Amino acid sequence: MIEFSLQVEARIIRAVLPELEKLFALSVKGEDFSEILPDFDDPDFKEAWIEGLKHEAKDDRNALARLLKSPRFKYGRVELEESDVDDLLRGLTAIRFTIRKTSLKEVSDEELETGMSSISSKHPEVQIGYFAYLLMAEVQERLIQEIS
Amino acid sequence: MAFDNASSTLSSPLLEEKTELDEQLGTPWKVIVLNDPVNLMNYVVMVFKKVFGYNDTKATKHMMEVHEQGKSVLWVGEREQAENYAYQLQRWRLQTILEKDD
Repeated sequence: MIEFSLQVEARIIRAVLPELEKLFALSVKGEDFSEILPDFDDPDFKEAWIEGLKHEAKDDRNALARLLKSPRFKYGRVELEESDVDDLLRGLTAIRFTIRKTSLKEVSDEELETGMSSISSKHPEVQIGYFAYLLMAEVQERLIQEIS
Repeated sequence: MAFDNASSTLSSPLLEEKTELDEQLGTPWKVIVLNDPVNLMNYVVMVFKKVFGYNDTKATKHMMEVHEQGKSVLWVGEREQAENYAYQLQRWRLQTILEKDD
């Protein structure tokens, strides 16, 4: 069992959790793996490739769902089985991509990579999306530290 | 003489096809990871270590190439293995392309 506490105020976590649940539902509708495909000539091979990635992404989403539904997560506590680590790490990345394409779609790559200094001037939906994005990054970063 | 004739007959379509196949199989392919604004640096390093078995120094070097130059060639070799690596990297949500190493 891996356990650690986030250095994030519980009230912030509770504020972004409903948004994360909405974003999670969006990500369930389907990640677009076609954007990241190598250049294929064979349509059957391409289809098998995408279906394989989609099928394996289910385990990633399930691991993320277990974290978000965990009663102690809203207090900043992360608890998971070691067998779930890789799936959760991928699930966290997947939801960060979903946030990037939805709540943060108006934000430039540069602004996102360097940190949004003008966050207070942004629309509330962007603000909450950004905090959700950071929270998922914090969980991922801490988890990588824990397993290193 | 008969042998020579048979050889020259074989040198047309069948041999050309075989040569083409040999060339395709022999052509090395590059596994290239592209930069993205989402994945964390330590996540990318961890994925390179997991997928390729690289040590920390080599994985960090490739991550920095991706970050600073927009892409890094992670591996070069036969197509089947290149596809296998590309699939694994995409499973970790790293933007990966395959290119012939001309």
